[in-house]
Amino acid sequence: MRKILLACSSGMSTSLLVTKMQAYAKEMGDDVKIWAVGQEKAKEEMAKADIVLIGPQMSFLKAELQNEAKKYGIPVEVIDMVAYGLADGKKVYEQAIQLMEER
Amino acid sequence: MQKSWFDAFSRFLVPIAGKLNNNRYLKVLRDAFMLAFPLTIFGSIAVVLANLPFLDRVMSEGALNTFRSALNIAPQATMGIMSIFVVFGIGYYLSKSYEIEAIFGGAIALVSFLLLTPFFLQSEGQEVVQNVIPLDRLGAKGMFLGMIVAFTAGEMYRWAVQRDFTIKMPAGVPPAVSRSFSALIPTLMTLSVFLIINIVVTQLFKTNMHDVVYHAIQAPLVGLGSGIVPTLIAVFVTQILWFFGLHGQIIINSVMDPIWNTLSLENLNAYMDKGEVPHVISKQFIEIYTVGMGGTGMTLAVVVAMLLFMKSKQLKQVGKLAIGPGIFNVNEPVIFGLPIVMNPLILFPWIVAPMVVTLVTYLAMSTGIVPPPTGVAVPWTVPILINGIMATNSIAGGLLQLVNFTIVLAIWFPFLKFIDRMNLQKEREEGKGESTQNAS
Repeated sequence: MRKILLACSSGMSTSLLVTKMQAYAKEMGDDVKIWAVGQEKAKEEMAKADIVLIGPQMSFLKAELQNEAKKYGIPVEVIDMVAYGLADGKKVYEQAIQLMEER
Repeated sequence: MQKSWFDAFSRFLVPIAGKLNNNRYLKVLRDAFMLAFPLTIFGSIAVVLANLPFLDRVMSEGALNTFRSALNIAPQATMGIMSIFVVFGIGYYLSKSYEIEAIFGGAIALVSFLLLTPFFLQSEGQEVVQNVIPLDRLGAKGMFLGMIVAFTAGEMYRWAVQRDFTIKMPAGVPPAVSRSFSALIPTLMTLSVFLIINIVVTQLFKTNMHDVVYHAIQAPLVGLGSGIVPTLIAVFVTQILWFFGLHGQIIINSVMDPIWNTLSLENLNAYMDKGEVPHVISKQFIEIYTVGMGGTGMTLAVVVAMLLFMKSKQLKQVGKLAIGPGIFNVNEPVIFGLPIVMNPLILFPWIVAPMVVTLVTYLAMSTGIVPPPTGVAVPWTVPILINGIMATNSIAGGLLQLVNFTIVLAIWFPFLKFIDRMNLQKEREEGKGESTQNAS
């Protein structure tokens, strides 16, 4: 099962995207866990994830989270701005899958 | 050309934003205030209940007074001693960030703060009452001393622990026992320093650290923060940061929250005391009257305009997507979907509308047309009108939001129309392109 963690300031706006991504993954018949947290929880929750995606408004978290993610060998990336704004679950889900496969 | 200028500026801003957001002390401070937040909500609910507007009509005066004094302990035990939670939180989260026993860090910060606090009450022209802690020292008035002490105590404790000034236990001693000893020497060291400071200040200078820090640091800083000009600057910087796609509040709040929260506490104390508040600017002023109308930039008016008055598919789609979250003041769909980020067509209304609204709100409140927020904590996700009425305990607080809503709408409208027309043209051309393709 693939586990995708989304992080933003309080986990509020990313949770919007979570529902859309889950719906798309279900449509594809993929078995995934997708959840959103605020920045203060991101480092802890990372241990349970295969990838971390950051809301673009918190892009400045990337370096710090990447540093932490080295422990687990998982990728950290900022979500595409337009896809984020339109809550494009398909596009962000595909971004996540692609990043995981590159590893 | 323009694009590269934006890119260059954004490359310059991101590291600064990162530094502020990821700074250890600011992060600890943010977490510490977050610890106090649910507690203040509890206290706030009691204040709202005690001040419901129709109570004096359904209850006798005696019953109302009993009702109010019965509820009064709730705000006193939460906001009334807010510095306690902030001090403990700072000590805890600072130690945690250094990966040392956090609960000790919290307790040491708290005791260090209490070591500097007078345990007697001296009212003017009255006898000194011994063995009491004046409540306001643990609330608004002690806030800045509390923060300073908590950080210094936390750092001293950490330094001592990391230097290994500890008593080493032989192997075989249960870990809990050896842990309690490992905290011993750093604790004694840290607390002794604060005891000595207190002795020097009280015996030699005949004052106390509370008064020193309050007069030298807290009162000037908080006074500065309560002005309209610094507030407009804060709003301006927040909007600029968001324009570059960066979370403005997270960055500005980490600097301004100590001041805004202190102003709120002072307001609440005065409100419970006299039913009036001294400051217009406070945490709630910022949250309810700059964010609480659809999110940063007060975009609920923008979303409604897109749904009702715009014709292009793109704006309609963003409007539909943004209205749900927008009601609860989450507006990332507008910011990244419209988009507002790096969109030169929108820079003007994006920056000007919130500043005009802030100024109008300030004027309405400082002239007494609308009462300023009482200091009751209202979560930022509470929708427009409800949050305004709750925060000010007055219908006028909600009506002011309607006025503000109209102002935002008026400033944005010509710009939205312009974008709408451009989109329509593009959509028509694309439509034509598709149909010719289909034909061939």
